[in-house]
Amino acid sequence: MFKDITLGQYYQTDSLLHRLDPRVKIVGTLAYIISLFVVDSFVGYLVCALFLFTMIGLSNVPVGYIVRGMRAILILLLITMAFNLFLTPGEVLVTIGFLKITKQGLSFAVKMAIRLSLLVIGSSLMTLTTTPNQLTDAIESLLNPLKRLRVPVHEIAMMMSIALRFIPILMEETDKIMKAQIARGADFESKNLIKKIKSLVPLLVPLFISAFRRANDLAMAMEARCYRGGAGRTKMKPLVYQGRDHGAYFILLAYFAVCIAIRLVPLPFLV
Amino acid sequence: MIKISKLIHDYIQRDEEGNPSGTIRAIDDVSLDVSPGQFIAILGHNGSGKSTLAKHLNALLFPTEGAVWVNGMDSRDQSLLWDIRQTAGMVFQNPDNQIIGQVVEEDVGFGPENMGVPTEKIWQRVEESLKTVGMYEYRKKSPNRLSGGQKQRVSIAGVIAMHPKCIIMDEPTAMLDPSGRADVIKAARKLNLEENITIILITHYMEEAIQADRVFVMDNGKIAMQGSPREVFSQVERMQELHLDVPQVTLLGHLLRKKGLEIPEGILTREELSDVLKKLKKGNRQ
Repeated sequence: MFKDITLGQYYQTDSLLHRLDPRVKIVGTLAYIISLFVVDSFVGYLVCALFLFTMIGLSNVPVGYIVRGMRAILILLLITMAFNLFLTPGEVLVTIGFLKITKQGLSFAVKMAIRLSLLVIGSSLMTLTTTPNQLTDAIESLLNPLKRLRVPVHEIAMMMSIALRFIPILMEETDKIMKAQIARGADFESKNLIKKIKSLVPLLVPLFISAFRRANDLAMAMEARCYRGGAGRTKMKPLVYQGRDHGAYFILLAYFAVCIAIRLVPLPFLV
Repeated sequence: MIKISKLIHDYIQRDEEGNPSGTIRAIDDVSLDVSPGQFIAILGHNGSGKSTLAKHLNALLFPTEGAVWVNGMDSRDQSLLWDIRQTAGMVFQNPDNQIIGQVVEEDVGFGPENMGVPTEKIWQRVEESLKTVGMYEYRKKSPNRLSGGQKQRVSIAGVIAMHPKCIIMDEPTAMLDPSGRADVIKAARKLNLEENITIILITHYMEEAIQADRVFVMDNGKIAMQGSPREVFSQVERMQELHLDVPQVTLLGHLLRKKGLEIPEGILTREELSDVLKKLKKGNRQ
């Protein structure tokens, strides 16, 4: 039932963006999200969009595939636009019953829509080009300074990667339990919302029990293989910056500088 | 290699409030010796204490009384804990619940990573171990895409990569289909013969125990029978008392013998039985 979600999934292909160090991609995505809120004009958004689409071009991920993923947030996008459109005070353009569309509201709504779309596409580009494993490795490495503050960075990363490993297994299990319940007359097809929620109880209880049992087994298997937390551990695939990663950081910096410049330099002929 | 002396293990039972209400004796005065390079099979029906015994060999459980030595290391000594776990690797029953990595090669590297092996050495170990169990061409695959037998062989590779002297397999074939079962047993046998790793196989498939050097049968926390496979399986009635089967061929030989044919007890393979029957046929003709 989760098969049609393309948002946030890894897209297997080979490209410059796929080969980049995952740390660069995480930092880059964060910088990109911040840049979207730094710029505040349509020229700025044009620069942001150009940058993003160049990146998509470099990633070898089909644009159609990314846009299809956007359907998941369409409703969210429309609601945000509606709120901005109708609830911003200012110079009234149109009145529909008790709703007023203002000039400022219109400009806000359009800007918000652009911002949100670019933000979602930008961050999904990261997950499309980075495997979950690389992501957890990168998060562990980037958060490493927090170890001094006694944040269990390694443990957090390990939990994330185990969670990712068990998603398909638990999905399969859900499917199995569902079929077993259907065979005994359970109704998962009902359109009635309350019935639907009620039918989830006999599904979730066995699922939780089995998840706990699995967790117990896995903990023992990890201990049997000498797992004792992050201390003294070596890495099979350590993250090492290559030349292209330094280049990527430089490009990011340049892009960010342009965004700040657009914000600071007043261009009178633009909104 | 492994020496167990007068081992007793009690599980503490708790009532609904979590207060101890009694104990269950899972292992009762067990002593046994395993020499290096042996292939040992431990048999027993459910609840006979065989899995509890296995967990003692890897220092996942500790003796209530008595002692366990792995390669001369006392499992009660906490400072030796990780050395014991590295010396005696463990393969569990459910392959899904012991694979940690999302890619086969990463899972095999998990043990060496924990031991602090340098990166290049890890890759070397991973390659060797995957080749040993015949899973090298699957190294980039996700474990979720493998069959049960393949997953279990990956688990074995994960243990071999830690360079253990002994591998304890706790019903590794219980959840597999017949062909997966055969592959896993073949891999275990190969490790025993070629790498000289001591194997302790816990199973309830009698056919798997035939190849062992020595068989122990557990019942009610005690060792009820021990000896070579032939010695153990020739006592068909005793095995049945313990709610255990003997291999089908052995049973057939036993039943034919009871009907008056001159067949020795403790036939273990089909070839053996057919040889004996052919000889009998020849004898009848003459």
